Amino acid sequence: MRKKLRVRYLLPGMLVGGVAVAGLLTSGASVSQAATPPAPKAAGTVALKTATRAADNIITYHVPPSSYIAPGRTLFELNCSSCHGVDASGTARAPNLQGLGPATVDFWVSTGRMPLAVATAQPVQKPARFNRKETLQIVAFVNSLAPAAPDYPAGIPKVNLSAGDVVEGNSLFVLNCAGCHTITGAGDALSNGFFAPSLHKIYPRQIAEAIRTGPTQMPHFGPGNISDKQVADIVKYVTTSIQHPTNQGGLGLGGIGPVAEGFIGLLFGVGGIMLVAFWLGDRK
Amino acid sequence: MSDGTDVTSGNGAPAGVPITKFDDPHLQPYAKNPRRAEMLIGAILLIGLAGFCAYGGLYWVGGQTQWEAVFGGIGFFAFGFGLSAWGKYLLPQGPFVEDRHDLKSTEPEIEAMAAAIEDRGKMVFRRRGFLGTILGAGAGVMGVVITFPLIRSLGPQPKKTFDTTNWRSGSHVVDLDGRRIHRADLEVGGSLTVFPEGHQGSGVDQTMLIRADTKDITTLPGRDTWGPKGYLAYSKMCTHAGCPVGLYQQVAQQLLCPCHQSLFDVLTGGNPVFGPAPRPLPQLPLEIDSQGFLLAQAGYDQPVGPGFWERS
Repeated sequence: MRKKLRVRYLLPGMLVGGVAVAGLLTSGASVSQAATPPAPKAAGTVALKTATRAADNIITYHVPPSSYIAPGRTLFELNCSSCHGVDASGTARAPNLQGLGPATVDFWVSTGRMPLAVATAQPVQKPARFNRKETLQIVAFVNSLAPAAPDYPAGIPKVNLSAGDVVEGNSLFVLNCAGCHTITGAGDALSNGFFAPSLHKIYPRQIAEAIRTGPTQMPHFGPGNISDKQVADIVKYVTTSIQHPTNQGGLGLGGIGPVAEGFIGLLFGVGGIMLVAFWLGDRK
Repeated sequence: MSDGTDVTSGNGAPAGVPITKFDDPHLQPYAKNPRRAEMLIGAILLIGLAGFCAYGGLYWVGGQTQWEAVFGGIGFFAFGFGLSAWGKYLLPQGPFVEDRHDLKSTEPEIEAMAAAIEDRGKMVFRRRGFLGTILGAGAGVMGVVITFPLIRSLGPQPKKTFDTTNWRSGSHVVDLDGRRIHRADLEVGGSLTVFPEGHQGSGVDQTMLIRADTKDITTLPGRDTWGPKGYLAYSKMCTHAGCPVGLYQQVAQQLLCPCHQSLFDVLTGGNPVFGPAPRPLPQLPLEIDSQGFLLAQAGYDQPVGPGFWERS
């Protein structure tokens, strides 16, 4: 009974334990990453009360001041014009930006997707190159070249989060968003190198911009399809339940579905059974 | 058998098989100090008992899923561990080897058996035609009778439900909330899941309404009027396995099925361009009424969803 455990019994145990701990750490890291965006302040009950208020000011659109146009031109010429052309009318390498409206330009620049670092099938989100003021200056310049087309918002949206309803947002999210972005908002692959990005690090303004302008493969949802109130519901849901999930079962494991869960289950379940089997069969 | 002679006594005598003695070391417990092991195992089992009690108590006062699982887990784990330890440390450690006698029959036994079969077989092993007939008849009737519940257990006959949907000529196109869709509602590049009015949420009727730029659309022969103002409507049920084909990729103008990655080209009549789907998505012919609302010219011209036996 009192006898040192031999290495050949310890080895599989250590292997299983080590990989399990590594897996837990990485999944824990992705969960804590998911929790970085700022938490919205309003609670669900407050939202329910205010949601019944008049439909005014749910989303307000604003355009940067015209004094931003001149510095915006400089920034655009330095950082954007080599692909989009000096008047943003597009080249063989990049599309025409005229008439896409302030919301489109703000989305692409403020999520760091533009300026492009590497040309892939789909630009990826990365830390923004410009601060808020510089971004608005670029927006002001591009917007000064041509008025926004009728199917694009004429300004940068500001969502009144207190008008959003999480429960409504949930059903709208399930119906319109979860197909590609998955039910946990972790994002997933599409076809031909395209993908639906994760929604865990995106601000309310950018969610509304994406819905209204349809970046890359995302459908373009106008107000006839998803109303301003419904946009506020979705934004509210994404900034609460998606970005701050309450994982009732314990660890969220990144919210990427049965692969991660099965991996952990196999490691702990089969690994544990292996250890017990070694212990049971261990005779002198 | 009849004369009582024991012709097949065999050589199964226990001679030569060793009898285990009680001071055999194999009979001793594995634990060097059984008393201490017993106390330890008892303590483990007590922990398990406490775990189960805590689980029950927690359940009684209202319950909290995670803690219930923790306490129940402690109970089961401690009991399992305790029982395993009991078997390992306190029961005879073995291993035990039992010798057995020679299984092969002796020559005289084999001969006697052969003689007996030859002698009595004329009477015992003859054909029983009467019983065989009854058995065959019974099995036949059973086979026929058992077929009926077996077929019925497959459920009600689908009849024509696979072939048709609730889309009729003049069905208004509505969203999940029952709101009629106006021709100004969708932007180019927009998509929406729609239903025939009065059947919101019906699985078989769900349809992807997409608005494309009219100049991009390749109209198939006979479908010239099906996509007014660039509005295209395709069944949302994949023709492969019936999953919802809701992943609309706006620039590629493709519908992606999340289950098996079938890709359908929106602009060329829902043609499958990748994946296991065998047929294009059925297209719903649309028209716009005088007030600008979308409605169906007719129902689907073919069964929607995956294939089935009777599908023509």
